[in-house]
Amino acid sequence: MTKWGWFKLFSMIFIFLVLIAICVIEDRLVVKSLDEVNRYCYDIEIAIEKNNGIVNGEVASLVDNLEYSWKKNESVLCFLENHKSIEELGVEIVRLKTYIDEDEPIEFYVSLDIIKHYVEIYQHFMSANFHNIL
Amino acid sequence: MNMLTIVVRAIIIYIVVLFLYRLMGKRQLGEMQPFELVLTLIIADLATIPMAEVSMPVLHGIIPLLTLVLLHYLLTMLSKISGKFSNFLSGKPVIVINPNGIDYKALKNLDITVDDVFEAIRGCGYFKMEQIQYAIMETNGKMSILPKSQFAPVTSQDLKLKPEKSTIPISLISEGKINKANLKIANVDEIKIQELLKNANIKQVKDVLILTIDKSGEVYIQKFNEKYQTFKTKPLGKVTE
Repeated sequence: MTKWGWFKLFSMIFIFLVLIAICVIEDRLVVKSLDEVNRYCYDIEIAIEKNNGIVNGEVASLVDNLEYSWKKNESVLCFLENHKSIEELGVEIVRLKTYIDEDEPIEFYVSLDIIKHYVEIYQHFMSANFHNIL
Repeated sequence: MNMLTIVVRAIIIYIVVLFLYRLMGKRQLGEMQPFELVLTLIIADLATIPMAEVSMPVLHGIIPLLTLVLLHYLLTMLSKISGKFSNFLSGKPVIVINPNGIDYKALKNLDITVDDVFEAIRGCGYFKMEQIQYAIMETNGKMSILPKSQFAPVTSQDLKLKPEKSTIPISLISEGKINKANLKIANVDEIKIQELLKNANIKQVKDVLILTIDKSGEVYIQKFNEKYQTFKTKPLGKVTE
């Protein structure tokens, strides 16, 4: 085989490995990010029950942590996913903070449910499944 | 800064597509096999989407491109290994004109008309059907013609001539600039260049549009905006092939 032939072969092997690596990294990253959001949502619900309301330090701190965690993950996910498709989650997390400030528990719960709903949808459309392939 | 993002994205995608095309080979558009044409069309489309859509990661354009090139490489390898697979992928050359005339069945299989055949043979420089012994429709869509021996172009062999071995002319000056790499290949120096310019009544290198020389010493020289001159000089010594 010529030098160019070897170069092509190695390039193709490299491309193949890059494709696999990107698929695996994306999958891991999506699962990790969405699991984190889910876990925070669960913790927030428990904190609300424990403190009988949304206006307390624990809930506020958990929402802040959720926002920080999602922003961090979102900035990495943007390299792999269409930003327009994942930006709603961030918007809804910011709303949670507003509802704490305004003490609006019903809207807070609605937002929390929307966040959980988004997580469920993202898990569906970001994962490789037969439905998405077709 | 959105425009700057688009500019940078365009540069990245251009470099990636250029690299991928180089990896795929040097085939020209008209010489593509069907599967290569499909690939080219898809690549062109895929490359433009993330270029303008800023919310979409560049990877969304690059990943399918890489996948397609990988697929193309695999298909090419399989075609090399298996003749049957190659036939399936690219088709087989089909004889459309044989010594009995046009093979209408072959035309129907290829879904082309008699007019298309006429157009293709005219493109090859033949205007009468009786001049053609065989016409073959190649897998890349081009027609190859074998003329009847009485209509074939005369060659030196037919005339029993012994012509000099053809050599490729080497460009020594192009658009007023000496091509130093070619000086080495032709094994000539700048003194020789000045000598050639003197022969052509040209004072400076910058006045020369093109200067070529072949192994036999045949010189072709043209000044900017003037008619070319040719003359013979001493044959070149050892030329690096």
